[in-house]
Amino acid sequence: MNGAGITLLLVDDDEMIRDCISAYLEDEGYNVRCAASGEEALDVIAAIRPAICITDLRLPGMNGEVFICQAHRICPETGFLLHTGMAYVLSDELRAIGMTAGDIFLKPIHELSSLTKRINGIASGVNRDAGD
Amino acid sequence: MSRTRASEHREQNKKALLDILDTLPSIIARVDHDGRVDLVNRRFEQFSGMSASDAVGVPLADLIPCFAAQLRRVAEVIDSQTPLTNARTQCGSGADLRYYSLQIYPLNSGTSKMAVVRIDNITEHVRIEEIMAQTEKMIMVGGLAAGMAHEINNPLGAIMQHAQNIERRVSPVIAANLKAADEVGVSLDLVRAYLEKRGILEFISHIRTAGVRASAIINNMLHFSRRGDARQETVDLATMLDQSLELAASDYTMKKAYDFRTIELVREYAADIPSLMMTRLDMEQVVLNILKNAVQAMSPLVTGRTPCIHLRTYLEGCFAVIEIEDNGTGMDEATRLRAFDPFFSTKEVGVGTGLGLSVAYAIVTNGHRGTIDVSSQPGAGCCFMIKLPVHGSSL
Repeated sequence: MNGAGITLLLVDDDEMIRDCISAYLEDEGYNVRCAASGEEALDVIAAIRPAICITDLRLPGMNGEVFICQAHRICPETGFLLHTGMAYVLSDELRAIGMTAGDIFLKPIHELSSLTKRINGIASGVNRDAGD
Repeated sequence: MSRTRASEHREQNKKALLDILDTLPSIIARVDHDGRVDLVNRRFEQFSGMSASDAVGVPLADLIPCFAAQLRRVAEVIDSQTPLTNARTQCGSGADLRYYSLQIYPLNSGTSKMAVVRIDNITEHVRIEEIMAQTEKMIMVGGLAAGMAHEINNPLGAIMQHAQNIERRVSPVIAANLKAADEVGVSLDLVRAYLEKRGILEFISHIRTAGVRASAIINNMLHFSRRGDARQETVDLATMLDQSLELAASDYTMKKAYDFRTIELVREYAADIPSLMMTRLDMEQVVLNILKNAVQAMSPLVTGRTPCIHLRTYLEGCFAVIEIEDNGTGMDEATRLRAFDPFFSTKEVGVGTGLGLSVAYAIVTNGHRGTIDVSSQPGAGCCFMIKLPVHGSSL
């Protein structure tokens, strides 16, 4: 239980994924909000200004990349993690806002503590270590 | 006078035609109805090692026995006046395996009925066909895999992560668990004791392990659709090979099959090979997969020999070549042709997924613009040959 006080936003169009990841994160003590699309998530970002946002790449409507860029403009202090089913090489735009390969999590995550370790690293400011 | 000129002209033409026959890369022989040699070209002499004058009158099938089966049809071709075309045959085995196409044409020369036999070495052509067929298969499987991976990774994630959630929700370290247990009037310790007694916690752990395994298979299949990788680095071949050997020695599935340390390893690394651009982890996986295949084929109980693996590196033109040779059971030709097919396995169910060598193939050809091939002598082992373009050169 090390997530007390940290607000997270989880964006995935698959309800199953939202359920299983948020259940774990809630057990860890984080405040977790979920959204099913980038469009929906932009509204939530503006309202709750989460410390970290974990988002899928392939989303209905705007994709994860576009969403992160727009969300970053709304709330520059939010850190972003990508949770994706396909191998992905970071675009220049995402590198420019400070994301590294260590911020990409490939589905399925075998051990969810790897995700919370990264979340806590970013939240405590020890972020953006050499992931690539 | 003009008659002499005409005769000279004919002689010149005849000589020119003979020159043409000797220049062609085809092996050509004229045979009678019984298949006895009447005339051969220079390629034939080179191929059979017998001079034209010694060959005359001898049955062609005796001179080039690997074509005996097709040559039995000479009489049939002459009698029916129907050519036999594109009979494909192979000679030799292992690295010396050669493919030939054989054609027999009926020939009417005056009163004697004869046939012309033409044999061409089509080894290179067959190899290219093999590579193209393999590439096509990979593209197909790759397309399927990429589509499937995305669809399967989500449900697989839900299975694995909910299994982890279940484990955690019966754990006494999470306050919410204790609170919920209290609310319904049960002791969490007793719940855990029950779950342990009935092996349920173990089942859940097995669900997670199975999920990891399924996810590894999907990951492997994704290699088929991956085109190159952005994360290449400069790698010393010898270091990479030694690293792969270390991985093999500590690999759990290998340990179960055989103790890698008892295998004799012979390293013959050339000193003049420059460092190459590659995705190091991927290439290590290629070597590891080939080593795994070798180890499984080298059980001394089957071969009666001390298992031995030769690792060689050398330069060949603008390619760096890695050879990995074992002295195991080898493969027959049918197996060799399918060795790199996805999900093709000669091992019993559960021992291998049949993906190891096809993943190696995909990594070398897609990711590194190289080639991978295997030659084998059944009973005497296999030799895998990986060719990688040397940095700066392109294929």
